[in-house]
Amino acid sequence: MAIPPIAALEIGTSRTVMCVGESDESGRVRITGVGTYPTIGVRKGQITDLSQARVGVEAAAKQAGKQADVSIWQVLLATSGGHIQAMVNPGMVTIRSGDRAVSREDIEEVTENAQTVQLEADRQVLHTITQSFTVDDQPGIVKPEGMRCKVLALNVMAVHGLQNRIENAVSVAKSAQLEVTDVAFSGICAALAVLTPEQRRNGVVLVDLGGGTTNYIAYCNNVISAVGCVAVGGDHVTNDIALAFNIPLNRAEEIKRTEGSAVIDPEIGGRRVTLPADVGFEERLISCKTLHTVINARMDETFRVLRSKLDEAGVLPHLGGGVILTGGGAYLRKVTDLAQRVFGLPCRVGLPVNVDGLESVEQPAALSTAAGLALYGRLTYEDRGLFSPLKNLFKGVFHR
Amino acid sequence: MSEKQQSGLLLLGVGGGGCRLAASVLASYGNGLCALGVDTDALSNRSAAAGGMTCLLLGGSRLAGHGTGGDAIQGRLAAQDDMQNLLPHLQGVRTVVLTACLGAGTGGGATPEIVKALHDMGIATVCFVTRPFTFEGEARRRAAERVLPMIEENADSLVVVALDDLFSDAGEGVLADAIQAAEGLVSAGITLLWRMVSKPGFIRLDAERLHTMVLKGGNARFGFASAEGPGRAAQVFAALRACRLLRSGDALSKANALLLGILAGQDLRLAEVGEIMGQVRDVCKSDCHVEMGTVLDAQFDGRIELVALAFESWTAAAQVEPRKEVSQTQQEPPVAEAFPIQPGSKRGRGKGSKLSFGATGRGKFQNVEPTLFGGQDLDVPTFIRRGITLER
Repeated sequence: MAIPPIAALEIGTSRTVMCVGESDESGRVRITGVGTYPTIGVRKGQITDLSQARVGVEAAAKQAGKQADVSIWQVLLATSGGHIQAMVNPGMVTIRSGDRAVSREDIEEVTENAQTVQLEADRQVLHTITQSFTVDDQPGIVKPEGMRCKVLALNVMAVHGLQNRIENAVSVAKSAQLEVTDVAFSGICAALAVLTPEQRRNGVVLVDLGGGTTNYIAYCNNVISAVGCVAVGGDHVTNDIALAFNIPLNRAEEIKRTEGSAVIDPEIGGRRVTLPADVGFEERLISCKTLHTVINARMDETFRVLRSKLDEAGVLPHLGGGVILTGGGAYLRKVTDLAQRVFGLPCRVGLPVNVDGLESVEQPAALSTAAGLALYGRLTYEDRGLFSPLKNLFKGVFHR
Repeated sequence: MSEKQQSGLLLLGVGGGGCRLAASVLASYGNGLCALGVDTDALSNRSAAAGGMTCLLLGGSRLAGHGTGGDAIQGRLAAQDDMQNLLPHLQGVRTVVLTACLGAGTGGGATPEIVKALHDMGIATVCFVTRPFTFEGEARRRAAERVLPMIEENADSLVVVALDDLFSDAGEGVLADAIQAAEGLVSAGITLLWRMVSKPGFIRLDAERLHTMVLKGGNARFGFASAEGPGRAAQVFAALRACRLLRSGDALSKANALLLGILAGQDLRLAEVGEIMGQVRDVCKSDCHVEMGTVLDAQFDGRIELVALAFESWTAAAQVEPRKEVSQTQQEPPVAEAFPIQPGSKRGRGKGSKLSFGATGRGKFQNVEPTLFGGQDLDVPTFIRRGITLER
């Protein structure tokens, strides 16, 4: 079955990204067009100025459409922000058949039961993710069909966010004449693009270091066990630097990229770098050690917050595959060294290896979310059966 | 029953210097003293452990046991990394006597973190910290000065020993021996204090009294003196008044509370105790709260030693903040004692000064919904909230 090109839009805090993905018969998605534009009007993943944010969307869509030679009028949208939360919702059914064997109908009933999530009126479910079945007292069952038991239970993780915040992002796309067909959580998209099946089996946490937010998604035994978002990102590092040295934000961003390090380099000594003079700005000398100290404090804290959340979710002992960092923040010097120290787990940068076409792109990890969103669109477009294991993970089907 | 369980006292050395002080006290005091050393340097830890002290390596995964290289930030992070490992050693502890030498990486970096953790656990802390010699350089002096307010914020009592004060003439003696000699003097003083509260004599000055004094007294100055022979009672108090650590008697005359220990042999006479206390009354303010205790030990026959902690303040019972207990088996304080923290108290001031950063430090996140975690606003720069002083 031929699938039309999929346009994936991420309105990030620091830049807006549009990816156009086209899939082949094997199911692989190839990114044929990428558009990026600096974002204005977004703070910590949330829209603060609709019209300014629209400018970035229009520019990114134009660029990606031109590169992929398509006209974009429908998009998938990635969303993030501190309002995104996850909760585990249990469902349960009593097996009524005479032989006590779990039937397909029982599974459908318990799934429907577990997916009925009671939330506050202002919250919207983005995804319902099947975790594992419990057959009587035996947990961790993936395929219960045919097994004999009295009670079948299922845990479903619901990822949800504030409806107004999600709709604000949708409004930005609409104002750029783009119809939003589905909304997905950025962290899940990045995981789709980056994590390999082996990593998911071994247990892994993907940390997406974005400009305004840090998303995380942890797999234990191939099951999504923890999902969340901390509204702290690269913007906070830049802001800290700007306040520490009393310099403008753009200068702070520049020096973060060129001289920044997540670990205080022991050999840096008294080295200083010059921030050249500009209009209204006198030349300044910046101590590299102080710069590293400021960045280290922020990144160390961010990782500790994540560790605390993973610890709370009880997944830390099950992450044999270690920590995978992706997103633009993954290119900060020595950030993997710091994460390794804080989590006490092996750590490396994860690239969007599950999609093609980004090989020649500079810093491809910064495109993990948008590329993963295109893959999400491909997977949710398929009919049930072809991709049933993943199909069950997500609420709704992507329609075009 | 171990001494820790019995008295609820723990001697905790932090960093290379702090561990040396604690090990030295342990060596002087002998078996029975409950002491723990924490350091980032595995070699230093091994030598302290050789003296019979339990030692913990801080920041093993971060520093691989090589120490901080004098970097206080590394010391602070190492303490944060391994704070959990410290907790099992604090079971049943009510008062920690902490020793640290400021000016270097672990003592300066880890001590504020540890003191804060102890405070959060409801353990009373009296910190004996040394300020480096002038000849150790301006950088070490400044590093020590930066750390002191952070320790003071959470310590119940802070005793700062300026090493320069230990010698009347800095030019005397061999340079290489000076630090060792100074540490020897400080550890001798702490040993006397420990002996005082661990082996109470006829007039008791036990761990409970020390606990109360620490909670109510605030910051303190510390001094000790010794005398023997005829007229020793008068001589020992004169020597105490002359002690440079007590600002040559100035700290005694200005103290609002005084904890005084008299250590002597079985030959201590009642008249001698009376003479010492008479001089205390003459020197100290009339409303100074004085707690006195004696230890009679045959090894002190022929001489008298005095050890004094002169506290800068004294909080009346109704104004003392109740401390939560670590051990569930210990009796909870009655509800009637749950008085609020004194408005002008040290801890209240500390928290106030922290908040002032938050009001101005959000930068580009000034008008954005705050990101809160663990009671902190994460939009405020981390280096401000962690109290990291930046070298520019």
